[in-house]
Amino acid sequence: MNMRKLLAIAIALRLLVSGLLFHPDIKTIAFQTSFLKKGIVNIYPYLINNKASLSLKEEFVYFPFTYLTLGSYQAVISNFLGNDFDNWLADAGANSVVNNPNIIKYLIFLKFPLLVMDISIAFLLLNYFKKREDGEKAFTLWLFNPFTIVLIYAFSNIDIYAVLLTVIAFLYIKREKLITASVFLGLAISFKLYPLLFVPFLFLKSKNIKDKILTTLIPISIFVLSIIPFWSSAFVKSALVSGLSVRIFSPSFGIGFSESIIVGLFLLSILFFSTYLFDKQSLPLRGKKIKLFNYFVILLLIIFSFSHFHISWLLWIAPFLTILVIQKPSLKWPIFFWAVFAISIPLFYSDRAMTISLFRIYSTWYDLLPTPFTFIQKLYDAYNFQSMLHSVLAGLSVVMTYKLIKDD
Amino acid sequence: MIKYTTFTILFILFIVPALMASLIKMIPADDQPGYGDMGRVSVYGIRDFTQYFVSKNKNLVAIGTTIKNPNLKNKKDIIFNLYDNNDNLIRTTTLNGFNIGDGDFIKIIFDVVPDSKDKKYSFILESPDAKEDEIIEVFLTKETDYILNYSYDDETHLGGAPIVTFHKPDSRLETVKLVYLNLFSKWQMN
Repeated sequence: MNMRKLLAIAIALRLLVSGLLFHPDIKTIAFQTSFLKKGIVNIYPYLINNKASLSLKEEFVYFPFTYLTLGSYQAVISNFLGNDFDNWLADAGANSVVNNPNIIKYLIFLKFPLLVMDISIAFLLLNYFKKREDGEKAFTLWLFNPFTIVLIYAFSNIDIYAVLLTVIAFLYIKREKLITASVFLGLAISFKLYPLLFVPFLFLKSKNIKDKILTTLIPISIFVLSIIPFWSSAFVKSALVSGLSVRIFSPSFGIGFSESIIVGLFLLSILFFSTYLFDKQSLPLRGKKIKLFNYFVILLLIIFSFSHFHISWLLWIAPFLTILVIQKPSLKWPIFFWAVFAISIPLFYSDRAMTISLFRIYSTWYDLLPTPFTFIQKLYDAYNFQSMLHSVLAGLSVVMTYKLIKDD
Repeated sequence: MIKYTTFTILFILFIVPALMASLIKMIPADDQPGYGDMGRVSVYGIRDFTQYFVSKNKNLVAIGTTIKNPNLKNKKDIIFNLYDNNDNLIRTTTLNGFNIGDGDFIKIIFDVVPDSKDKKYSFILESPDAKEDEIIEVFLTKETDYILNYSYDDETHLGGAPIVTFHKPDSRLETVKLVYLNLFSKWQMN
């Protein structure tokens, strides 16, 4: 099949999912970012100070770059969508929102930037490999796997901005342009905090002290500069104390006297220091360089194995796994099963919006159906079932990590 | 891979909703009205609550409404009696306060009333064994095209509990058809 036809089918599938599946977060975010076109630049205190008069009460939990990007886009599309669109955004009625006759159109417009980012990632993957054939395989795999389509368009995954910038950063790392990579990592961190975890590894890979300082300072400076104009207690409370830091650092085991070992941090430390002590010192002797790709993948495997993750986070690892499938075909099936288990876990959370409620555009009658969580609960302890899925995922992650380290 | 993904996505978008629709055993006639600001009434002992309403569809099978069980103190029987327009008792159901949370949406299910479309009914909700500190509370809302009036403490007023009537669909296929008709009504790009 030629590239154009492939792209046309991929876009058609994405537009269908965009229009037909609805996660309420997209509307909440669109309502919040709609204030930019009304001249509100610092959204954090505005939402808190005006909570009483606003129809939707949630705080804006994303960073300023997300607000400015989505707010600017919305200022443009509002001209096409008219006043009814703003009324829909402000509508707090659970049923009236999905019964709006224009909802499919609104969702397609709101999710269109995701499509642009998604297709951009496909083209970056196309050019990632030396062999054109491998690039085409990665391009096709990215466009035609149900996991990323559902993750991006059903759940309106705005983490894709950070994901795209991280992939660009990684391409520069591959070309040994670490300073440029650090700029893109900084931009990615300004959308979402998780690429900050890559910075210590960039530091290790840098050749000399000057580069080490620059590759560390540049991403942090870009992030700090992007948040300084918005700094306030409202910003810290809403956006900075994020789910990532809370969730990654929450699983722990006690060692007595109220002290505990934080599992995620413990494993990330092992990864960092083993990179430093073993690879950084031994690889150059063997004429090899540190393969940051492996560390990025392992780092993300640790996060997903040992934290209660949000489904949208799975997109962070998706481009890396796509590359891995092409680079190491022996990992194709383990990665497939890893993806199946990883995406299954959040579907069993006690949250209707993860499953049944995605289809509320079709009918609000689905509210009468039990969620997978409720269904399992009737037969077995649903939390224990989630734990079983997560344990398998963690086991699979350990094996994939071993394979990655052993092969390289 | 291309065929597999295309099939999977189309399956999720067009087959899964049909399978889910086929599992729906009863269909609400309307959305539940808002509670408004008309307060609540307490049901306990001899204080019962009577609601007059119209069933908008055939095959009436349940009434849903929101009930408060303050501090979850009511653990007594709650009796629901359904009457036709001639005050003949046609259905009766007993719930227990133990299973009712504070502010839960409760569906009171009974045997199907087949030819219920556009007919007037009433129900009485009572908890005869409950004491004054074991009340349950029924929210009140303004009258609608199907919520007519209510009686409480020997007085009758317009409006009543924010109820939703539920109806058994004729067939699973009928439900699937209605779901897709609803979806296609939004399939516009004006």
